[in-house]
Amino acid sequence: MKRFLIWFIPGLIAGMLIILGMNKLLVITSTNEFCVSCHIHPEADMSWKRSVHYETGSGFRVACVECHLPPKGEKYLWEKARTGLRDLWSYWTKDSASFDWNERGRLEIARGHVFESSCIKCHENLFPLTLSKEGEDAHLYYKQTKKTPELHCINCHLNAGHYIEGYTHGSNVTFGMTPSAPKELFMESVKVTEFESFTEQIPNSSVSFSMIAIPGGIFKMGSPAGEPFRKDDEGPVRDVEISPFFMAEVEVTWDEYLAFYAQTSVEGKSTDTQKMRSGMTASADAISGATPPYGQPDQGWGMGQRPAISFSFHAAETYCKWLSQVTGKTYRLPTETEWEYACRGGTTTPYFFPGDPQKFQKTGMKARLSKNDTTVINSYIIYKANSPSKTQTPDLVKPNPFGLKNMTGNVAEFCSDWYQPDAYSLYPEGLIKDPKGPESGDERVIRGGSFLDMAGSLRSAARSFTRTGEWLRTDPQMPKSIWWYSDCFHVGFRVVCEFDEKTGKY
Amino acid sequence: MKKPSISRRKFLGKAVTAGAAGIVAPSIITGCAREPKKKIPEVSWLDLAPDGPVLKAGVIGCGGRGTGAAINFLNAGPNLQVVAIGDTFKDRVDQCRESILKEKGQEVALENCFVGFDAYQRVIDAGVDIVIMATPPYFRPEQLAAAVAARKHIFTEKPVCVDPAGARSVMATALRAKEMDLTIVTGTQRRHQRNYVATWQQVLGGAIGQIAGANAYWNQSKLWHREANKSWTEMEWMIRDWVNWTWLSGDHIVEQHVHNLDVINWFTASHPVKAVGMGSRHRRVTGDQYDNFSVDFVYPDGMHMHSMCRQINGCANNVSERIQGTKGFTNCYDTIYDLAGTEVWKYGYPLDDEGKPSSRKMMDPYLQEHIDMVTAIRTGKPFNELENTAISTLTAIMGRISAYTGKETTWEEMMNSDLRLGPKVFDFGKVDMPKDIPVPGEPYVPQA
Repeated sequence: MKRFLIWFIPGLIAGMLIILGMNKLLVITSTNEFCVSCHIHPEADMSWKRSVHYETGSGFRVACVECHLPPKGEKYLWEKARTGLRDLWSYWTKDSASFDWNERGRLEIARGHVFESSCIKCHENLFPLTLSKEGEDAHLYYKQTKKTPELHCINCHLNAGHYIEGYTHGSNVTFGMTPSAPKELFMESVKVTEFESFTEQIPNSSVSFSMIAIPGGIFKMGSPAGEPFRKDDEGPVRDVEISPFFMAEVEVTWDEYLAFYAQTSVEGKSTDTQKMRSGMTASADAISGATPPYGQPDQGWGMGQRPAISFSFHAAETYCKWLSQVTGKTYRLPTETEWEYACRGGTTTPYFFPGDPQKFQKTGMKARLSKNDTTVINSYIIYKANSPSKTQTPDLVKPNPFGLKNMTGNVAEFCSDWYQPDAYSLYPEGLIKDPKGPESGDERVIRGGSFLDMAGSLRSAARSFTRTGEWLRTDPQMPKSIWWYSDCFHVGFRVVCEFDEKTGKY
Repeated sequence: MKKPSISRRKFLGKAVTAGAAGIVAPSIITGCAREPKKKIPEVSWLDLAPDGPVLKAGVIGCGGRGTGAAINFLNAGPNLQVVAIGDTFKDRVDQCRESILKEKGQEVALENCFVGFDAYQRVIDAGVDIVIMATPPYFRPEQLAAAVAARKHIFTEKPVCVDPAGARSVMATALRAKEMDLTIVTGTQRRHQRNYVATWQQVLGGAIGQIAGANAYWNQSKLWHREANKSWTEMEWMIRDWVNWTWLSGDHIVEQHVHNLDVINWFTASHPVKAVGMGSRHRRVTGDQYDNFSVDFVYPDGMHMHSMCRQINGCANNVSERIQGTKGFTNCYDTIYDLAGTEVWKYGYPLDDEGKPSSRKMMDPYLQEHIDMVTAIRTGKPFNELENTAISTLTAIMGRISAYTGKETTWEEMMNSDLRLGPKVFDFGKVDMPKDIPVPGEPYVPQA
């Protein structure tokens, strides 16, 4: 008995000390001071201190772990151990200054390190009396929609924990209305009398842009079996004849888009429901343009010569109609085939410049290890490896053989065709002339890949399509906007102008 | 006065009833739970609410139903008072005050009798615990929001809105009220009617197999109308003639037929996702409403409900529901039949003086819903029917819009529609808004 006690009592004490120690360890490792001892990111510390979670108005301060770990009992220890090990590894092996902390604050990435269950743990009541009308609609949608991982609190409340300059989640009525220094206004558009590249001028604005004459020809549309990263929808390869047309040198810029927005935007709403109600009474010649956006369409990246983003396919089509009206020419979206013909510029290789997609695919550490030379692709394309995580201005890249810039990368581009995976096999046999795609469908073709994509999706033949439902998920307005996508900032478009009697064809 | 002696256990049993009837069924939207469930909630009924500290109610909307609801409330149990009343019109307030005095011996203080468009807010602010609402449904979303903001329990008549924007507002108010543990009873009294609830339990237990189809009817004679009166402004006339104006009543498919649609939603624990309807106007004297509707509603799993409603004299009348299952069918009311039409179960009514089962001896559901409300408040077991009733109201609105436009309407369209009926400016004078009677296939422009 004595011997038992000799062992038992010290054992008991040691055990208790260990448990107390472990508990103390958990507490210590959950303090803000401990977090920032490894996470050396002064920007994130600062933006947290400027956020509503730091100054909540009630005196309660929300700590790092309250958002960046799940609540206790919901895999708390597991996540703590997992992220702790990862952080230790990074601390020893990486330079924290080399991380792009802003990139980590982007929605898709932030979803991975902000726990919705933690949001809900504190914000139990989604219908507080102080909630606005828009908030009621949005929270009702959240409550009634089947839970999907994409529907996360931070879709709308991204700036709750870290302040973001210029972040708006509200109707942005002043968007695009900032007065700029008075510039000379173009009184009329440019007359085009022969098939040559020209610089278009948008009347009543100071905006101009280059249109490149693309000669007609025959080319092979699609990718041959065996091309790296090829998908089934890129075939079968078809011979296509294309008539001459003009194509914009660069993707429609914010300057161009805002000229349209300033001249046509309307207050209030125009929706399908309303169309149903009022019938087809809208007059044919007056183009009524976009309603004010919700939030910040340029994502705070700046406007000017950067490609315009966040607007809908419907808005892009309306832009073309408007541009045709004010210039007296026939502007429209390119067909998918025109787009690929223009992108290839006579080449038959995966890109319009030399190189193997597989060698360009790797980024970061893997690229450095494999010692693949990405100089060539870097000089032509804004993509995941060099963007960094946002659109860039067109002056940073070299043009393709036709003189077009950013055909691939930067932003993906709307084409006028309905998307169908087997579209190429649906055309009649033999040489096809100026095909326009399937007659109907649910989603439109987008081409060219974007700054979010890796090399494989940037090949001339790669196809993609719009995802209307997903791209409107967090628009809290009722009804959702037909002009702006709330959750799509990687798609823009490029205009083509028809070579017809208005542009010198006889 | 004889106090009802009720044990705590019975309270709990009752709370389960309320919960079952009110909440369990359509927590909805996640889809269709039409598989026969083996576990049937136990239901026990109280004939009188338990005693407790005084509960004070205020009445908003002093017409026949508002006054009737006030008296039902006072009959629901001991220590209940109506201490404030309000209406747009003074004659209504006076009549209501007199009826309460005559029938229940309670005198509402004159300083607590409010007249005008803002009467509802003054009733809410008059120190009441419960607000009874029976104004035309157009006003309901705003009044519900104000009452919940003031943390009042509510008895509200159905329907709870007349348009999609109103429905969404009420849904949000319902969820807010749940967060506040408020009790809200919504005048869908079939859910408090003992034979209906017993039949619902049978169906839940699989008595008719899987639900395969449904019918809902509200075919009756002409309701009523009021001719314009020279001493009234147009606004006053419209409100007094409210059952003939869509912006005020929602049209009769919403105003009355919502009861039957709500029964189908309740029994199926779901709501339709789309509708194609038709309707027309032949006999109405005033207003812009239709006389009849016929709507094909489709539920998430493809089940169809046919709904019809009419207000025309001299035609076949029928107010009922019918649900067809794979093993039989039911009138939802008191009987289960097998596929051959043979009665296999019948609700056991209380016996009358001659010893025969009689539905007349059954508890009045209009009283039962108030007993259930007071019991829920006094036992601290809140229940809240508002979201379900908003869903059933929007179901009816979806059918109405389809009939008015001639087009298919979907639930998603309803949840995304910004349609808000009624005039933009609200005062006693000319009412500036479109008053055209909708023509299917033509543009439908109800908004000013």
